[in-house]
Amino acid sequence: MVDFQVFTDKFESFIGTNFWTMIIAWINLLLVYLILRKFLFKPVKKMIDERQKEVDDMYADAESSKTDAAAMKAEYEERLEKAEEESDEIVRTAIRKAQLKEETILREADEKAARVLARAEEQIELEKKQAVSDIKDEVSGMAISIASAVIARDVSEEEHAQLIDDFISKMGDEND
Amino acid sequence: MDNLDIGTGAKVYFRISLFNGAMAIDVTQTTISLFAVSILLIILGIVCGRGLTKRPGKKQVLVEKGVSALYNLVETTMGKHNAKYAPYIGTLFLSSLFGSLIGLTKIFRSTTADLMVVLGWALVTTALCWYEGIRNNGFFKWLKGFAEPIVFILPINIISEVAQPIAMAFRHFGNIAGGGVLMSIVYAALAALSTMVFKGLPATIASVMPPVFQIGIPAVLSLYFDLFSSLIQAFVFSLLTMVYISTNNPPPAPGSRVVKQAEKKAKRKAEKEAAKAAKTAKAAKTAPV
Repeated sequence: MVDFQVFTDKFESFIGTNFWTMIIAWINLLLVYLILRKFLFKPVKKMIDERQKEVDDMYADAESSKTDAAAMKAEYEERLEKAEEESDEIVRTAIRKAQLKEETILREADEKAARVLARAEEQIELEKKQAVSDIKDEVSGMAISIASAVIARDVSEEEHAQLIDDFISKMGDEND
Repeated sequence: MDNLDIGTGAKVYFRISLFNGAMAIDVTQTTISLFAVSILLIILGIVCGRGLTKRPGKKQVLVEKGVSALYNLVETTMGKHNAKYAPYIGTLFLSSLFGSLIGLTKIFRSTTADLMVVLGWALVTTALCWYEGIRNNGFFKWLKGFAEPIVFILPINIISEVAQPIAMAFRHFGNIAGGGVLMSIVYAALAALSTMVFKGLPATIASVMPPVFQIGIPAVLSLYFDLFSSLIQAFVFSLLTMVYISTNNPPPAPGSRVVKQAEKKAKRKAEKEAAKAAKTAKAAKTAPV
């Protein structure tokens, strides 16, 4: 079936027409194409594309972070400004409130003091009255006893009564 | 081994006869070279495409440069929609370049110095052109295209269609084989010059003198005829393939046959998937019972 014929000195013509050479060239081209595509071109291209995508993503990310950061910065600055304003406002209101409170306290204290003073005066008045009436009683007693001691000898019963009445009425005048 | 005898083709090593001689396969220098180039390219390709990382080493940077240059060339010449041809163009370029350069080893004969090899490659280009033409226009409209705009142009178109692969093949074959022949002639001429110059010397000295003119001078010519020519022809062949295919596969215009077919295909796929989803949903409904 299969015969081999080995040549030692046989050449094709310069413009070869061996059709089998063409078929073998096709087979080789297909083989190399399939293998190179699978093991070289496609993986390398995929790697390049992936890396390119990664780089693009990174740049996009960086860009968005940058804009985000700028927005955030603006926001913070605004907030800071607002906070300053707010703190100023707070301090101002606090001062105002404190002043108001101070005034109220002072006023209240004044009032209270006045009240206390008034009451104290009242008390003093009352006590004074009490003291006066006490003294009056005592004095009247003493007067009677002194009078009785003095008068025991030379004052009649009528004169005695007269004297006491005068005395009491005088006392009463003084008290009122 | 004298690889390029002037005026002869590849050396035939042996013939395999099948079916009692009804079929005879001549195994020639070209056959061996073709396999040698294939093995070389496969090993090179696998080595270069192995161990790819996101952070490339020196080797990977080079490989990526080459591959992206290839894709860029294909995309600028053929358009982005033809990027799928980049691996084929790359293979063709490398096969041609290495096929030509392997002749420099003087162990193998250049594969591209054999007309049948380059003619085979050129016919692949023609086949791809026809495939794209039919895919873009439909078979009958594609056939009708040869007789447009007027019927009289038909023979011219047929001739140009036939001439295209022949021209491509002979251009490549002629450059490489011609370069080889020229180099052989130069070598022979320089040897002759050496013997002529040494003729004046005594016979004993002249017989041991090497052909000194063969040293150095052929290197310059070889740089052009082998290296430069190989590179240029590989590039030209790939470029022509790209141009021919891309003229038959223009960018997909809205409403064109290709776009319509792609839409139909997508629709059919969607329908199929919907049917499949319905089936699984039905199965899921019945299964728990």
